Amino acid sequence: MRFAIAHAGLLTTGVISSAALAADPSLSNPALSLVLDGYYQTAERPMAERAEGFGLGETELAISASIDDMFYGKATAVFEDGEVNLEEAFIQTLALPEGFSVRAGRFMSDIGYLNNQHLHTDSFSDRPVAYRAFLGGHYFDDGVRLDYLAPTELYWSMGLEAFKGESLRAEDETGLREFDELGVLTAFTKLGGDFDESSSWLLGLSYLHNRNGSAGPHQEEAVAEDDHGGHQHNAGYTGENTLSAAFVYKWAPQGNYKYRHLTLSGEYFRVSGIQDAEPDLRDYHQGWYLSGAYQLSPSWSVAARYGELDAVDLEAEQLQKLKETELSLAWHHSHFSTVRLQYTHQQGTHFDALSDDNILTLQYVMSLGAHGAHQF
Amino acid sequence: MRINSKLLGALLALSFGHSSMAMAALNIFACEPEYGALAKELAPGAKIYTATTAMQDPHQVQARPSLIAKMRQADLVACAGADLEIGWLPMLQMKSANAAVREGSDGLFFGADQVEPLDKLASVDRSMGDVHAKGNPHLQFDPERMLRVARAFSDRLKQLDPEAAADYEAAHADFAARWQAATTRWQAQAEPLKGKKVIAYHTTFRYLFNWLGISQEADLEPKPGLPPTSGHLASLVERAKAGDILAIVVASYQDERGARWLSDKTGVPVLILPASVGANDQSQDLFGLYDNVLAQLLGGK
Repeated sequence: MRFAIAHAGLLTTGVISSAALAADPSLSNPALSLVLDGYYQTAERPMAERAEGFGLGETELAISASIDDMFYGKATAVFEDGEVNLEEAFIQTLALPEGFSVRAGRFMSDIGYLNNQHLHTDSFSDRPVAYRAFLGGHYFDDGVRLDYLAPTELYWSMGLEAFKGESLRAEDETGLREFDELGVLTAFTKLGGDFDESSSWLLGLSYLHNRNGSAGPHQEEAVAEDDHGGHQHNAGYTGENTLSAAFVYKWAPQGNYKYRHLTLSGEYFRVSGIQDAEPDLRDYHQGWYLSGAYQLSPSWSVAARYGELDAVDLEAEQLQKLKETELSLAWHHSHFSTVRLQYTHQQGTHFDALSDDNILTLQYVMSLGAHGAHQF
Repeated sequence: MRINSKLLGALLALSFGHSSMAMAALNIFACEPEYGALAKELAPGAKIYTATTAMQDPHQVQARPSLIAKMRQADLVACAGADLEIGWLPMLQMKSANAAVREGSDGLFFGADQVEPLDKLASVDRSMGDVHAKGNPHLQFDPERMLRVARAFSDRLKQLDPEAAADYEAAHADFAARWQAATTRWQAQAEPLKGKKVIAYHTTFRYLFNWLGISQEADLEPKPGLPPTSGHLASLVERAKAGDILAIVVASYQDERGARWLSDKTGVPVLILPASVGANDQSQDLFGLYDNVLAQLLGGK
């Protein structure tokens, strides 16, 4: 129940500072937070949600609290151009024995490294191209997860998830395919620890089995890489099996994150079993990125990222390649406000949607209300 | 993508090795060094892990994998509380899946819950900076409050591990006697500091100054949690030059550049005080910490 107290305490440091809340936050006060994200950009990135010109990113309203001493609950609504989507609405156990916990409802899958992190914590305006291609930017879905944390000195966690899998279904232009309602199963493990006082690491391996990911035998028109039909969060490239590996390294002088710190991370995805028919080219897509972010001072941070997508266009029967080199500079007035200038250079092979090779994005991300703890 | 079989073997050995020798002594996870040091005094047989050092700002700690793994095995988590660890402790609790130390459990101990913190605010707004509505959590330099925290901590140890109650009671009696004697000595030593004025980085030493009768005339941070700006520092030059400022005080995990700049402009000395146990060679336990802080303040007189 102390969860609720802590969160309610956070709440009182936010804009909702009615005397009643602040004086004695009670257990029934949930944490309430709002993330504001606005931008201007000179062109569009393939498969990204942000359009050219002025726009809003995900405006995110979240409520969370302990429900009782056994359950924690959270809901996150995302407002996007006249739509309201629930990105999270889950419960999680707080008191299962032996390091087990269960999460159920709608939540972000724990595969990969970035996927379980909220978009507003990223160092760039959009997810790496591998995420946009294979996971629809970030993969959240309706399902259930079982987590286990081993009682080891080294951090060692394992998890299994089952999801509906609608957003990862292969394109079905005939509309006749009967998709499996239990579409996605995942398994992942993460290892982590400290090298020394200043630096820490995390390694992750995950496997995603998608029963609806393989394009049907008679539908060679199965892939649509430039789907602008609203904010579907659908993956443009799907397959039966997705394997991914991730690493994260963080450093701060003497482990003091107050002024300067460095984060290096990278992920690799390989999506195979992309069609049931005999492959004309090859039967897998792959993508990866490497990213480095450096906080120079409490007010300034810089980041660089390089990513590639190497995919098969089933319809045109050709290989597609996209390379992205990105640089960002961010100014932080406090922990709660960021203004970012980002430059992207993109090089595509067989990507019709590429309108410009160079993109500038000016973005703000600000949060008000409760500001929950971030993941490593 | 290949899984290293040796690594896997080592992991399995680790996991089984641990579970067979569990429950020998309490496993204590301390958020800050002062609570690790207190645990050492009051639970000498316990296995104690301190999550942060005195060189790390406890407001900004990463919920790193190693901390999650340690919390997974903890019987007792001891922290300052009053939302000091709000940016990382809830994530550790969520990820460590350890029911013994979740909110509301006996295995979670907050120092700030055992005493009345200073500077509680009826209402706060983020435009005031990063302030704690529940009061100042940096209790470690208040000998009176620390004594009460020690009493409550010892009681909690007895509650969690009743078989060793007599040992905890004895350790507490020993600590309390030495602490009270030291407090009397410190108070006498610090007599010349009464009424002195300082400029400091943050409210890290709020309790120390309150106890010793020192007044913090200005803060290097323009607002709590915001880094010193050149404009704000420039505005402090006149105040620092007035001739009545004993020192510019910075904690071991705070950036000393702003203080150095102000010192160069005004001739007021900079004191880098240990934020907690372990910040310098003299501050290896709670007693050494107080001795060192007082010696530095008296030396700067």
